[in-house]
Amino acid sequence: MKLEYLFFIFIFPGILFTSILGLIIGWVDRKVSARFTFRVGPPFLQNFNDFFKLLGKEATLIKNSIHSLFIAAPFVAFGTLSLLATMIGVTLFYGIGFGGDIFVIMYLMMIYSVMIVLGGASTGNIYSSIGAGREVKLLIGDELVFILVCLVPIIKSGYQLNLESIINFQASNGAFIGSASGILAFLLSIICIQAKMTMQPFDIPEAETEIVEGPLMEYSGPPLAFWKLNHFMMYVIFPFFLILIFLGGFNLTGLGILWFILKYVGIVVVMIIIKNTNPRIRTDTALNFFWKYASPIGLLAIILAILGV
Amino acid sequence: MLNNNLLLLILIPLAISFLNIFLPTILRKILVFATLVVTSIITINLFNANNETFTLFSNTILSLDKMSYFALAGIQLLSFIILIFSLKGVENNIQKQFFALYPLTLAFSNGVILSEHSFSFLIFWGLSGLTLYLFNLLGKTKDTPKTAKKTFLIIGGSDAFLIMGLAIVWFLNPGNSWSLLSTNIPLVDGLSYTAFFLFLIASFSKAGGFPFHTWVPDYSKDSPVESVAFLPASLDKLLGIYLLARMVTTLFEIDILVNLIIVTLGAITIIIAAMMAMIQNNGRKLLGYSTISQVGYMIMGIGSGSILAFAGGLFHMINHTIYKSNLFLALGSVEKRTGTNELNKLGGLGKIMPFTFIMALIGTLSTSGVPPFNGFFSKWMIYQGIIEKTATLTVGYQIWMLICLILAIFGSALTLAVFIKFIHAIFLGKYQKKFAKIKRTPINQILATGLLSSLCIIFGIWAVKIPLNNFIIPALQDLGLSAPQFIGTYNPQLIILLFGLTFVTGMIIYLFTKKVKFDNNYLGGMDAEERFRILGTEFYNEVKNMKPLNTLYSWAEKKYFDIYDITTKFTNSTAKLLQQAHPGQLHLYLLYIVVGLLIFLLLI
Repeated sequence: MKLEYLFFIFIFPGILFTSILGLIIGWVDRKVSARFTFRVGPPFLQNFNDFFKLLGKEATLIKNSIHSLFIAAPFVAFGTLSLLATMIGVTLFYGIGFGGDIFVIMYLMMIYSVMIVLGGASTGNIYSSIGAGREVKLLIGDELVFILVCLVPIIKSGYQLNLESIINFQASNGAFIGSASGILAFLLSIICIQAKMTMQPFDIPEAETEIVEGPLMEYSGPPLAFWKLNHFMMYVIFPFFLILIFLGGFNLTGLGILWFILKYVGIVVVMIIIKNTNPRIRTDTALNFFWKYASPIGLLAIILAILGV
Repeated sequence: MLNNNLLLLILIPLAISFLNIFLPTILRKILVFATLVVTSIITINLFNANNETFTLFSNTILSLDKMSYFALAGIQLLSFIILIFSLKGVENNIQKQFFALYPLTLAFSNGVILSEHSFSFLIFWGLSGLTLYLFNLLGKTKDTPKTAKKTFLIIGGSDAFLIMGLAIVWFLNPGNSWSLLSTNIPLVDGLSYTAFFLFLIASFSKAGGFPFHTWVPDYSKDSPVESVAFLPASLDKLLGIYLLARMVTTLFEIDILVNLIIVTLGAITIIIAAMMAMIQNNGRKLLGYSTISQVGYMIMGIGSGSILAFAGGLFHMINHTIYKSNLFLALGSVEKRTGTNELNKLGGLGKIMPFTFIMALIGTLSTSGVPPFNGFFSKWMIYQGIIEKTATLTVGYQIWMLICLILAIFGSALTLAVFIKFIHAIFLGKYQKKFAKIKRTPINQILATGLLSSLCIIFGIWAVKIPLNNFIIPALQDLGLSAPQFIGTYNPQLIILLFGLTFVTGMIIYLFTKKVKFDNNYLGGMDAEERFRILGTEFYNEVKNMKPLNTLYSWAEKKYFDIYDITTKFTNSTAKLLQQAHPGQLHLYLLYIVVGLLIFLLLI
């Protein structure tokens, strides 16, 4: 264990960097969404205020529920997301591998959903349980497409699994987005991420108007603050992951910085636009969409990738 | 003769089993425990043994190499832990039979693993199927006799195929020896392919691979839970997959097409069983289907023709036995306390049985392949092996192989979904007052599941250091294969350390800001009553009702895909046809004789 690992995980690109950038992008999301509905939107530091204010509030626990699980779930999710942010960020910014390959990242991403389910359903609230069930259904829906999408860069890089090899391959041979299979996979991946972040039209598990934030319903105080923070951290993790596997990473010198901002903001803006222009769909519609329409396209992308297109 | 270690591993449990028939229950328990201590010590002593054999009439009957040692060690370990669970808790009325059958099964399983001679292999293989049947008869549900018959027919039927396979192998073998090791028959003509697939049937029936898997869920539901953890969840997997591993390494030399067929069968097994597990409402059946689904990974890994995936398959075999017996035993604890294993009658037990909940959760996460538990490591090895193999193939085969890989990875998401349902239905959801006064779980049951859970974690974090370096890589070297090279990176120690640091950071922030109050659940502004609860069993109704899955599911429920049912129906209808030819009228029989005679004469 080197000292720089501590720097990676706690400061850059781990907890501190990811949370601050996430909270800022969260503000962008709220501001843009507000403009979509002709509202003014919150001030720049609103997300920070929300987070610290929630930390100061008291947390309500449900009698006769599993308190340890209820409290631990957001922190386990927080730990996993920090780890993911570090693993992806270190490869992006320093070009070295850190702890795991693309399969490890795919599986670590599932832990977040597991924790949502465990934390929510531990309370015994029926809305939380309904939301938990929907979270899993959404997971098995988008996971199939996500697997297909993640295999495309593996195939295109000549069956490399390590993130740093994928990024190096793109550095010498051009980003994967420059090919037909790359474009297809990239478009699908944005939809997948929309679902993984439970944003409209896939906000099925949380559905405020219907099941009142679902699994998060009973949360309050610091645990809720961390759930919110987790959500904002995902605004960094998923776009960075896409940039890594499809857009060839960044070059942080000169014009590269501009490119970095453009790539990142571009993905986030697309996500925000999708979020604000679509109503929530039903669970079975989502499953049908992912399994019957998106997966064949994903398979097509894989076949194209094998053929070298 | 009695100083041969290998023979002792079979004879001691066998003798104890016969002795146990005459003893009172408490002595039986002590003797079985002592037997396992002895066999474990012998196994540990054999760790560095070279070329240990047992010969009779100048034929090598038993022998031990690193691969059989790996399976042997797995058998002793699992038998030991499951025995700890069984010491207190087996139903009173079946205790006597249970503790006589237990060492018997151990003896036969050891026999299968150690046999080098085809005959002894066949005998032990058949006998281990018999003990499965006898264990099944100890069940007390109303379907028990039917299930026992089904199990016996599938397992026993597969023995017939094994006999034919062995006969062909003997015939094809240049030296006509009966040794199962190092025959290396190339798959060139119809005969060798037939032999290979006959063996495959035997191995799949035992391990529970598609399409010979249908006995596993029924057996899981209708037998004593300890025997389910003991046989289909652990020992049968070890035996079946051991045979498969022998087949692809020493018995036959297989080509890429056969590799692809096995991998495809594995992928189908994974998906079909996981999809079926999703809709089960009986805890045991759900676990049974999930067991089958995990066999798919082993089949895939071992049959793929990549050394890395082969090692992963072997590792997954031992991992699966650990976490699945853990889950069965945890469910057993729940079942013994609450008296039911129907998921929609349980719920909210996490508060009441916290230890069992934690163990079940660890088992669940391992099964679903969540890092850093052991299930992930072996799956990760299998995926890498398949990727490695795919890179060497032609375009068409690449697509085929990758589709199988996609199904396998997707299978683990489905498994996660299955187990979310399982965990939710039993441990999460609303607290129920009717369970508030149930008895505490006995310490031996917690100890057994705790041991298995800690193995899940240890094998996950120190996978390379403990199981791979000590057991699996020596086994590969013994088979003449090179040590596998990972093509990806995964550093579980680093990941768990950094995760721990971040988790602790979060918890410290929580503890500094902590202000807590307690309150009830509310629903629409009123106290949420107990009758308003979500069971968890209805989670996947959307999947069940989705086109075209709904048709497939309804066919599956009508048992259209059950090979046992299909064969039974076929046999019955053929028998009916024949019956109609036997109306009991003398002149008709005379006519048959005359016609038969005419045909006979014509043929001459």
